[in-house]
Amino acid sequence: MADEDDSKWAIAHVHASFNNTIITITDLTGAETLAKSSGGTVVKQNRDEASPYAAMQMAETVAEDAQAQGVEGVHVRVRGPGGNLQTNPGPGAQATIRALARAGLEIGRIEDVTPIPHDGTRSPKSSG
Amino acid sequence: MSERSVSKQKQQKRWYTVLAPEQFGREELGSTPATEVEQLYDRQIETTLGELRSDASENNTKLTFKINDVGSDTAYTEFVKHELTRDYMRSLVRRGSSKIEAFITVLTTDDYRVQIQPVALTTKSADESQEKAIRRTMIDMVKETATDHTFEDLIDSVVEGRLSSAIYNEAKTIYPLRRVEIQKATLEARPEEVAAEEETSVDVEE
Repeated sequence: MADEDDSKWAIAHVHASFNNTIITITDLTGAETLAKSSGGTVVKQNRDEASPYAAMQMAETVAEDAQAQGVEGVHVRVRGPGGNLQTNPGPGAQATIRALARAGLEIGRIEDVTPIPHDGTRSPKSSG
Repeated sequence: MSERSVSKQKQQKRWYTVLAPEQFGREELGSTPATEVEQLYDRQIETTLGELRSDASENNTKLTFKINDVGSDTAYTEFVKHELTRDYMRSLVRRGSSKIEAFITVLTTDDYRVQIQPVALTTKSADESQEKAIRRTMIDMVKETATDHTFEDLIDSVVEGRLSSAIYNEAKTIYPLRRVEIQKATLEARPEEVAAEEETSVDVEE
């Protein structure tokens, strides 16, 4: 792996739905949370929680927090709502990854972990 | 860069280095923080084969390891899962060709129970009977390899692709194949667990 003595890697879990974006940075096992943020922490209006702007703000604070703990790079796991809802990540996903990279974190693998049913219950009428 | 202080609670945590099993060269996988040593057990860490071998062409395989032993500041792991990445699997599937899957649970010579899922992809759409024949050979070959391999050897042949190429050579006479891969291999039970099950199991047959 690419890590030298003191460079730690972490995983950035990005849950980007159309109503909100949740960013959680954990260690590589996913057992310990290092930093987290969601849309409501940076914007006033509920409808703005999923916006790319909010995602950028969140990513910056989260990245800063993680770097303070010695994290140098992150693997990214993006997911949309999934299940029987839409499988595409919302507008905040791409902005988050960009902002994490701009904040000076190295980006490793990017993986899509949207839960995909192997056929379950019937989807709602409106699902994409 | 930032002056933001790390919380007290987080400072108490120690970072443990996680190492791969001996089979994978005791490579460093990363690190994980914990306050108590007991918390470390059963944590799972995921890497790609490319990272272990430092060879970017093999990044389509994900390997999952589970922590089962802790030293002073290092944690040791055992293999639990081998999986192809979702995007790679999706890239193999084409229109107008068949995808033949099988799920096989086998017992290795040293009593590990492993589930193996091979997939075969044909060049053109195959008939049901051909699909069945290919599935049959896949199942037979996996069972056969399991009977004369230990857990470590079996995993090795899965990860190295020897098992899939053996299946490919065997099954391509039935119908032209594009690709054979082992989609997933999971450790289901260790020898102790298998033995415990056998003890508690009741004989149904009279």
